[in-house]
Amino acid sequence: MKMNLRGGWVLIISTWQMWLQHRSFFFLLAFGWMIPPLISLFVWYTVSGTHAIAGMTQSEFVAYYLFFMLVNQLTYSQTNWTMGDAIRSGFMNLLLLRPLHPFFHAISTEVAGKVVYMLFVIPVVILLAPILHPSLHTTLYQVLLFIPALLLAWLLRFFWGFWLALLAFWASRADALLAIQDALILLLAGQVAPIAVLPAPLALLAQLLPFRYMISFPIEVLMGNLSLTALLEGFAQQIGWLCFTLLLFLVVWRNGLRHYSAIGG
Amino acid sequence: MYYLRLIKLFIQVSLQEEMAYRVNFFITLLYSLLNLAIGILSVVVIFTQVNSIHGWNFSSTLALLGTYLILGAIRAIVFGPSFDKLVGIDGEVWTGQLDYTLSRPAPMQLLASARHWRFLPIIDLLIGTGVTCAAIFQLKNGMSIGHILAFLCALIIGITILYALLLFFASLVFWSPGLLATRVFDGVFQMARYPLGLYPGWVRFALTWIIPVGIITTLPAEALVGMLSPLTLLLSTVGAGIFVIAVSLFFQMGLRHYASASS
Repeated sequence: MKMNLRGGWVLIISTWQMWLQHRSFFFLLAFGWMIPPLISLFVWYTVSGTHAIAGMTQSEFVAYYLFFMLVNQLTYSQTNWTMGDAIRSGFMNLLLLRPLHPFFHAISTEVAGKVVYMLFVIPVVILLAPILHPSLHTTLYQVLLFIPALLLAWLLRFFWGFWLALLAFWASRADALLAIQDALILLLAGQVAPIAVLPAPLALLAQLLPFRYMISFPIEVLMGNLSLTALLEGFAQQIGWLCFTLLLFLVVWRNGLRHYSAIGG
Repeated sequence: MYYLRLIKLFIQVSLQEEMAYRVNFFITLLYSLLNLAIGILSVVVIFTQVNSIHGWNFSSTLALLGTYLILGAIRAIVFGPSFDKLVGIDGEVWTGQLDYTLSRPAPMQLLASARHWRFLPIIDLLIGTGVTCAAIFQLKNGMSIGHILAFLCALIIGITILYALLLFFASLVFWSPGLLATRVFDGVFQMARYPLGLYPGWVRFALTWIIPVGIITTLPAEALVGMLSPLTLLLSTVGAGIFVIAVSLFFQMGLRHYASASS
């Protein structure tokens, strides 16, 4: 995988340029993904209008959801869909013939996508902030912790999406699984409500499953609501789930490739 | 009568198309049930924190969720696929196929709005009806036949406004074929999943007067709970009527603006 980094870089740049050409379409996608957290933001803004909910004030809810939109978009894994499609359509053949690991193809669409989506999401968040008055009491120390948490969250969501997409090697349609995954993220990664606001059984489930560590956890770190033990536990869970997911990815990749018998011309 | 016969034919043809993919049924069922679970859990999460907001409590919000599922299903059964065929990616306006459709001996607005049908979303229609019924049982005190009749009236108003909105966004294609305005509406439509009372004032205003997506579910749910005055119901009927006529004129205007895409 380490060979030909220069080729990988060229691929990233060319994909990025291709994506910028079609940016209005991707802005539309970004708009669609932004709506659900925006709805939650509005609802919790109204609910917390008179008194704090589970220790969170109105302006803290606003800050939480504005960051949620950013982190959600930054960690969103398109590989979920594009890799599955590549396997189904036979485009995978072309990827395998390239003197680069197909991994680079996934990374290049990820990076290209992030830049294009951010061009849309950041202005919207900046526009919403003065209307809704977020409040954030963050320290340099929390920002410094936020960066690794965000990076781990992205890696986790990326490889988690990757291994799920690779199931397309066996079932030519893994879309139903992806839909389930998206629904779980909606509920357990802090989109419907921040984890602290969820009823106890759901909150416990959120802490055990990997989804919280894909979006919510970095934001919780940044907002500074976590105790030292909760912080350490969170990072441990993130790293643990990442290792597990990497292992899963490698196993599925090896076996899948052996099983793969080039669909399409 | 001729139009009804035409619609019946459209339904038959669509049904034959859909029966070709039977595995899809189970996937759609699974997805619908999941959607239902998330929808109900979201409402539960809100109302474990507060008892009521701006007059909305758990049961009335549940009634609204049922209405949302019903309207979403109606949209997915007929208006969605029909408009998608017209203005979606590779739609008729885009490919120039519309030239042939225009030459058919039936009104263009009917062809545009009711030619293609999907049947799997009937699952959502049943689920939505179930949720609404569950909410009715929860709301047992003060529930009367009058409320249910008012609910049905308000539901028809909701469908009318939904149709007018979809037609409006679809008509925009005649001016800008690449706009994909219907996709923008997909996002905005999700706003109807919660009552207007759960949104901040300016959002409520926008969803009532600018893009009246909020009304289409809030009105029926309010009728069911008895929060809707007869005067509001009457005024919304008139309003919805004017709206759908105005949008139809707008669609005709767009059609005249259409200058074929084929070479």
